[in-house]
Amino acid sequence: MTSLPEPEQDSKPWRRSPFGSVAAGAEGAPTITLQDAVRRCRWIAVDLAADGFSLLYAGSGLDSARLAPCFDADYPAISAATRRLADGAREELARHAARSSVPRWWTSDPQCHTAITLAGIVHVEATAPQTPGRSALAFPVHADRGQCGVVVFFGDAMQVTPDDLYDFHGRCYALFEAVARIRPDSNLPMLTRREQECLKLTANGCTSEDIARLLKLSVHTTNQYLANTTQKLNAVNRMHAVAKALRLGIID
Amino acid sequence: MIASIAEDSLTRPDGRLASRGDLTRFLMELTASVQADAYALMAMVHEDERHEVRIIASNWIYDAIELAGRPLLAGLAASHRAAPPGFRPRPIVTAEAPEPDAGIDGEEAKLLAVLGHREIYVLGIQAGRQRLHLLLSANEPGCILQAGLTRAQMEACYALSAVPQLLGPTVANDPLSDRERECLHWVSEGKTTDEVAVILGVSANTVNSYVTHAIQKLGASNRAMAMATAIRSGMI
Repeated sequence: MTSLPEPEQDSKPWRRSPFGSVAAGAEGAPTITLQDAVRRCRWIAVDLAADGFSLLYAGSGLDSARLAPCFDADYPAISAATRRLADGAREELARHAARSSVPRWWTSDPQCHTAITLAGIVHVEATAPQTPGRSALAFPVHADRGQCGVVVFFGDAMQVTPDDLYDFHGRCYALFEAVARIRPDSNLPMLTRREQECLKLTANGCTSEDIARLLKLSVHTTNQYLANTTQKLNAVNRMHAVAKALRLGIID
Repeated sequence: MIASIAEDSLTRPDGRLASRGDLTRFLMELTASVQADAYALMAMVHEDERHEVRIIASNWIYDAIELAGRPLLAGLAASHRAAPPGFRPRPIVTAEAPEPDAGIDGEEAKLLAVLGHREIYVLGIQAGRQRLHLLLSANEPGCILQAGLTRAQMEACYALSAVPQLLGPTVANDPLSDRERECLHWVSEGKTTDEVAVILGVSANTVNSYVTHAIQKLGASNRAMAMATAIRSGMI
């Protein structure tokens, strides 16, 4: 058997662009900004005939029941609908998105257009109303690094056919993948190569002494690098810095 | 034609699968609906920095998967031709020399072609947080209905969300107890042993003992490594 191609080593010229086409691009370059993402989401909402939308992020691990708004129709502000949703239904919705990809919807007016169209589709689950007075359709979304979230569309006049549903959900997936790849660059400090190396070796179980030997540095220098990363990542200690760097994808 | 397939949904009347038999039937119908010949549903497993796959279901002929080898399948699943939900799938044609982004080399392509997989689509399937890969292949290139793949992909996402018990463990070999996981979680939030002790309402010695057990179970050499291992494999 020939050797296994290394999937992570990205020597290949082809990269997936977030919106379905294939584009040549630089490694790790952020493809879109948050404003772009909001615009994309607005287009999906227009095509769905929804009058509002919001994208929420689910936490990881023990925090998985926490659903934090990323943006919505009122960007850069957070709309009242999103806040109501985040208060009332977040835990159940986050738990649903973690275990299932099936879209959910709810309404408080069974006679509205949204309710009539969605009731005829097999692949969506109806739930109790989560946002008083508004119908909504929520698509669970997931990205490459295991991030999880929900894209919610609001409105009583939404229309969607079973075939469209797949496309809409696919577009939400592509959108979330792109959003998940947005480096919080302005807020995210750049670590130097040395700092990244030290952090990575710490995550691999090396002590400061081990790192000093491996990188041919003094122990003091190693500790200084690690102190820098802790400060730059706004962490309280070294363990916190390692965890933050892993979760932000700065080291892997 | 696609619309007519979509109206006549592939899954049970309530859209749910229940048994292993349902899963097989669903995948066979899905494969037929896009005019493919073969399917293989698999999950990527990360072991010691190597990429491996676990086959969940397939109708490849007997021994073909062993013959092709799991590393080859892992290469396909990790290739840039693999399309997660929302991305346009592009085929890997093994009848000719593979393009550089296909994740396989010439020899592997020949082997797959001999086994009757001359055109392969790799679809990323998302069942909740769990990411799976569905290989749909045909003996004749150009056979598979590209226009039906998005529907097939999303239907698979929906249907497989209902049967986590058939898909195997979400996290490969999660050996930690709830308390150990909790301790590691707080450590990863930057809490010291004493702080974790206060949070969990136990003594500092107990916290240390939980963490020590976690270190042993994860085969780590210290706290930092245990925590990093747990984060990397999604346990915390």
